[in-house]
Amino acid sequence: MKPRLAWLGFALAFLALVPAATAANLVSGLSQDQIEITSNYTGTDLVVFGAIESRGGESADSPRDVVVVVRGPDIDMNIRKKERVAGLWINRHEVTLFGMPGYYYLASSRPLGQIASPDVLARYQIGLSYLQAARYSSASPKEDRVYTEAAVREETKAKLYAAAEDGVEFLSYSLFRVRVPVPAGVPRGQYTAEVYLFQNGNVVSAQSTPLFVDQIGLERRLYGFAHRSPWVYGISVVLLALLLGWISSLVFQRR
Amino acid sequence: MELYLPIAQMSVHWLIILGMGAAVGLITGLFGIGGGFILAPLLLFSGIPPAVAVSTTTSQVAAATFSGLVTHWKNKTLDLPMAAIMTAGGLAGTVAGVYIFRILRELGQMEFSISISYVALLGAVGGLMLAESLRTMREARAGRPSGGRKPGQHNWIHGLPLKMRFRRSRLYISVIPPLVLSFIVGILSAIMGVGGGFILVPLMIYLIKMPASIVPGTTLFQVLFVTASATIMHAVDNYTVDVVLALLLIAGGVIGVQIGVRIGTRLRGEQMRFLLALLTLGIAIRLLYDLVVTPEDLFSLRVGDM
Repeated sequence: MKPRLAWLGFALAFLALVPAATAANLVSGLSQDQIEITSNYTGTDLVVFGAIESRGGESADSPRDVVVVVRGPDIDMNIRKKERVAGLWINRHEVTLFGMPGYYYLASSRPLGQIASPDVLARYQIGLSYLQAARYSSASPKEDRVYTEAAVREETKAKLYAAAEDGVEFLSYSLFRVRVPVPAGVPRGQYTAEVYLFQNGNVVSAQSTPLFVDQIGLERRLYGFAHRSPWVYGISVVLLALLLGWISSLVFQRR
Repeated sequence: MELYLPIAQMSVHWLIILGMGAAVGLITGLFGIGGGFILAPLLLFSGIPPAVAVSTTTSQVAAATFSGLVTHWKNKTLDLPMAAIMTAGGLAGTVAGVYIFRILRELGQMEFSISISYVALLGAVGGLMLAESLRTMREARAGRPSGGRKPGQHNWIHGLPLKMRFRRSRLYISVIPPLVLSFIVGILSAIMGVGGGFILVPLMIYLIKMPASIVPGTTLFQVLFVTASATIMHAVDNYTVDVVLALLLIAGGVIGVQIGVRIGTRLRGEQMRFLLALLTLGIAIRLLYDLVVTPEDLFSLRVGDM
């Protein structure tokens, strides 16, 4: 109960701080604008929260829906298809999807099909089935779709893509909250948390907030070290290995 | 506790990796081989990207090899000129192997190549070992002494040019066979992450006819240089050496070796070889199964070129 109250308080404080002039009828925020991957990082929850301002209740009875999309940095994916060659399964065909989100989480207050038409959803790339790469290495749109579906399947299996059609939790008539799981293995870089407000099948308001995911501490330094000065890194690993090997040989002898 | 591997960019449970290191160390202690050929497949089974698994295994083998080499160096059970020639061949092979490795990665055939090489190699070595250990066991039961090698036997190897005298091995042979042999093992080392001791040792004894007491030390010398340089080259060329993974594996290995040596003193040679043969064949069959059975999803995804 405690964190829930804390978020509520945070959300309310946030609301109080937002000047009325810049606010549309949607305000949102994130529990943290930076996620740090440390040596014992096993995933965390990001909380997206927000409020819908109702203006004198003129639309109190037309349904309002909230959709939250958290997108990771664009990455290039190589999708390979296996074929059977002489009884063995070998990668035979490859399509590169340029500019797919490295992470994608969608939460909505109702099943997407009830919120808006496929056209609208596709325009905003809302929903796993409407995801598209910026560019494809293949020539046929049919092939593009097959490989994109495969990519979504693989990423869903890796828990990097997910959709929760009841993921938006309303704390009151206007306050909502979404828990976004950020598992280990998410790519580093800039993320965006997009919040859409739908009414009568159309986006009436949207907000986008940046978010950074980065390795910090030792991991950051090791990764940077391995890429900046690979020679020194490689030699250090070997020396370290030899040192440990030597120590173990000393332990041997004492036995 | 889960630990994040900075290069593999994934979380693993540190006990699992430590346990794998210990299991491979156990094999090192039992059989006196590096165990790289078992470690790389184990890492693959646990979901480590193949490129990282292979490159990091080379550093573990370097550590295990160095610890064995120290003892051989003290006992002077190695032939330095022979070791130097094999190292030269091995290093050339490693350079070629790392290059092939990069091409395979670009072609998207990395995983398949690693698996199929392992199936071929482990299947062959395991099968031979199994046959040999069964024969020895049967002969021991029948009370016959097992046939040793016949000394002074000449074969085609003695007709090759560039002969050189190796005092320590009491050999006068061409440098071509050890060079070629170590070159091939160098390639395997880079592609598969193995030290190659388990191929080199029998070939040095049976083909080049080096005295068996000098072979392990000489081979370790070569394997050390080859795996150490393979680690560095993978780090430079492919950025796939994970230092956290390497340290965990090495630490586990140190523990495993101790246990392995203790168990090893209670088992007979052919029994140990029988066990090793079963293990080797088991891994080969498992890898082959993964290649033959229809995959759940025909599509696979690689981000970037990892």
